[in-house]
Amino acid sequence: MQDTTIILQILWTSLATSTYYVLFAVAFALVLKVTRLFNFAQAAVMTIAFYTAFVAVQWLEWPAWAAFIAMMVMTLAASYALERIGFEALRQRGVSVMFVFVFTFMVSEFVAYVAMLIFGTWPQTIFPMIFWPVTLVGEIAVSGWDIPAMAATVAALTAFFAFMRFTRTGQFMIGVADNPDLAELYGINKRQIFLVAMLIAGAFVGLGMFLYGTRAQVLPQTGLSLMLFAIAATIIGGIGNIAGAAIAAVILGIIQNASILFISSEWQGFLLYIFLFLAIVFFPNGLRLPRRRGRFGTATRDIPLGRDAPPAESQA
Amino acid sequence: MEYLYGIIIIVGLYVILATSFNLIIGYGGLVSIAHPVFFALGAYTSAVLSRDVGAPVLLAMLAGTLIALLASIALALPSLRVSGDYLLIASIGFQLGILEMIKNFRFTGGPGGFTNIPPFLIREFGRESYVVLVLAVMIAVILLVWWISRSDYGRAMTAMRDDELAFSSIGRDAMWMKIAIFGLGSGIAGLAGALYAHYFRFIAPEQFEILQSSAILTMVVVGGLRTTWGPIVGALLLQAMPQAISFLHLPPSVLGPIQGLLFTGLVLVFMFFRPQGLVPAKDVWRTVQRTAGKVRENR
Repeated sequence: MQDTTIILQILWTSLATSTYYVLFAVAFALVLKVTRLFNFAQAAVMTIAFYTAFVAVQWLEWPAWAAFIAMMVMTLAASYALERIGFEALRQRGVSVMFVFVFTFMVSEFVAYVAMLIFGTWPQTIFPMIFWPVTLVGEIAVSGWDIPAMAATVAALTAFFAFMRFTRTGQFMIGVADNPDLAELYGINKRQIFLVAMLIAGAFVGLGMFLYGTRAQVLPQTGLSLMLFAIAATIIGGIGNIAGAAIAAVILGIIQNASILFISSEWQGFLLYIFLFLAIVFFPNGLRLPRRRGRFGTATRDIPLGRDAPPAESQA
Repeated sequence: MEYLYGIIIIVGLYVILATSFNLIIGYGGLVSIAHPVFFALGAYTSAVLSRDVGAPVLLAMLAGTLIALLASIALALPSLRVSGDYLLIASIGFQLGILEMIKNFRFTGGPGGFTNIPPFLIREFGRESYVVLVLAVMIAVILLVWWISRSDYGRAMTAMRDDELAFSSIGRDAMWMKIAIFGLGSGIAGLAGALYAHYFRFIAPEQFEILQSSAILTMVVVGGLRTTWGPIVGALLLQAMPQAISFLHLPPSVLGPIQGLLFTGLVLVFMFFRPQGLVPAKDVWRTVQRTAGKVRENR
């Protein structure tokens, strides 16, 4: 009986904490799908999002809703700048994929060092306390953070998939993701679509970091680990399959949390690197699920990356 | 004099690291950030074998080099089997994962570091002998990379990097060439790590963090990719900078981030405004640009 309760508790907690992992994975997978870039600069956006909320709440003593708005504004501004100043310039120059990789990684590291210089290297949280009131549902402890976090994530994902399926811009995004040059022939403004993808990803990252920062401690380098988790989920979910990335993020989150039953806590973080390794070795093209044609996000397909990708200029 | 010897040895080791990394990223066109972790593997293997197992230092150093080489093959083989892009992702995970292991294992000294590493040559022949050893290894590595880049194998590397499909179509195995380049560069980093451990006699995981990845990448990008002198100039410049900053007497909590900002900031500035680096080579970063230029002309 005790074992069942523990397992159910771990499952519930894992499900709740997988909310931000899902948001990060969807953000990473979306940018990869539409722009065909491994956007390592997502870690920089995560860092900016968290420290904006931190400053608003802890230094300026703003209410949570105002901090959330400020954080979203800063996150979207960072995503906008990244696309317009960074990626667009690189596309116009027609640089190699290696160049873009190094650029995005260096941007993330640069922002992390700025954060270290300003905020120090000790862990911070958005609110002074991260202990939430707990209610017992049966024998399962449900914290005051769990339900709002899950509701916000489900709402964000529902809005996103509805946007992709039912709006013109969403359909254009799918078109650009499938064949950028053909989409352009049909009059779709790729430049605009890339920006929209980056902004949506930025919004997911902002929401995800707000959830993460209200539950766990953050260091300037935390964004990198969270991004690696998103990359592992994206690869396992199948590159180009956003829903797959979200599902993979939930599963990986559950495995990581449930691992406490089998391994000591100091090795729990190490699991992330095992996931990444296994994803690359065994599932480089993702776990192939049965195809459901015509539905966004369920059909996996191969996106040519790296040397196989079309010249970057032709994507701009 | 001891301070000066320390600086010469550090500069020499970073020239070795930057030159071997240039072989991987510049000549081989392989993107990885895990170079410091091979440096760490060489240092830890040599240190543990010589102190705790009682192996002769020279043998321990060779073992450190070999372990770094084998670890790099273990990293490159699965990633390159899929695509070169996955090597970068795998390298980030590999670097952080190995450092996490070093921090958690007891035999490596954990986060506190590994101390009392046996010295090499210093007791018998003085510190000068170690300076000579490091400089000799440095010159040997520079000459080796220079020779490889100008040999038939070097021309094959260029062909593989510029057009892998064409390279494969003439019957050459691009994947094994990449693994060989990656293994050789990483093995050299392991040797540098072993040399570091037996002079400074203390190693800790924080010495091999992402900051080091940024530093080595900066040395190569700022100095100049695919050139013999570029990484040397980069290493000298980037090592002189922290020495200059150290005279400002800033607290360590500020010094680290400032160094990180300088390294990453310089990479970003050079990537946008002088991608060829201080010592320019032809067509750096521009493998796609030529195609792109033709596309523009055709329009």
